[in-house]
Amino acid sequence: MRLKDQVAIVTGGSRGIGKGIVQAFAQEGAKVALVFKGSQAAADALVAEATAAGGTVKAYQCDVTKGEDAQAVVDAVEKDWGPINILVNNAGIIRDGLFVRMEPADWNAVIDTNLNGTFNFCRAVAFAMARQRKGRIINVSSIAADHTNPGQTNYAASKGAINAFTRALATELASRGVTVNAIAPGFIATDMSEAVRNKAGDIITKMIPMKRLGQPDDIAKVAVFLASADAAYITGQVIKVDGGLSLGAVAV
Amino acid sequence: MKTQEEIYLKVSSTLVEALNVDEDEIEPSSTLQGDLGAESIDFLDIVFRLEREFNIKIPRGELFPESIFQGDPEFVENGKITDKGLNELETKMPFADLSTFKKSREVSSIGDLFTVEMITKYIQGKLAAK
Repeated sequence: MRLKDQVAIVTGGSRGIGKGIVQAFAQEGAKVALVFKGSQAAADALVAEATAAGGTVKAYQCDVTKGEDAQAVVDAVEKDWGPINILVNNAGIIRDGLFVRMEPADWNAVIDTNLNGTFNFCRAVAFAMARQRKGRIINVSSIAADHTNPGQTNYAASKGAINAFTRALATELASRGVTVNAIAPGFIATDMSEAVRNKAGDIITKMIPMKRLGQPDDIAKVAVFLASADAAYITGQVIKVDGGLSLGAVAV
Repeated sequence: MKTQEEIYLKVSSTLVEALNVDEDEIEPSSTLQGDLGAESIDFLDIVFRLEREFNIKIPRGELFPESIFQGDPEFVENGKITDKGLNELETKMPFADLSTFKKSREVSSIGDLFTVEMITKYIQGKLAAK
């Protein structure tokens, strides 16, 4: 077990990529705080499933856009299990639409959840991690930050900002033994990407050099690595996990 | 009332914890950045620890006013502190020993003012005013 007794927080942990990370962390022996906003049933089911498999997982309800709520979750987890070792900022939403018709509400919602939510949880753990001279922060970004499609100005902006934020925070915390990295997934088979996949059809898998969608577990395995002692010397990096999609190859 | 020696020892042990250094590396004249390897986040940590250790409040920028002269032409000229800047420094940091600094006036060496002795004097003043 590579994360034995490590205390981890995973936001957006009840579904999709977050769920995969919660499961993988639990299998590696971490105590996992699953943070969810609305999916109580999915969160409860995941806790039950992971617990039955011998893991230690607990669900915490929280709207990541609210700084005080994020702090309250961090305080509660510390009270339950002790100092936080690992934070995964995974909570993210899409509100796709062409820019000329994009409502401010759709812009703000995406920036608030994806970017400000990441800020809120980092702020709640960073100083404590710096003081304990140990910590791992992993932000879930997207290849959409660099390789984008029409209709995603808000999403691409939020993820590009997460990449820059990751690098900047990494420089501040490096001397204190805290690493900050990001994972940029390509097309992953989750509820969130379903609408896009339905619309685009199998053209997507044709664009991916590996000819398949990613699975949440493909991302979770990289998250486990970045959270583990093996990744001690890696910080400020954005790691693309996309089956080669971002290489921009044209099939011939 | 604590003696200066008692305060110095407590400041030293605070720095040992905050900077992960050995006690015997610390001398009154040690500079936090140059000798003890402190970075910006460490200054923040030191302030928090001192506040708790001595039960005092340290307003932002009072103990370590590292950026008071940032880009202000009245205080800095060609990388050197002006007379006005020096006055400002004396007013803001009465607990610092400026004698060496006065010779060079280099803004870049302002960090050398932050010594273990300076912190001790600052705390002494804070406790006396309590």
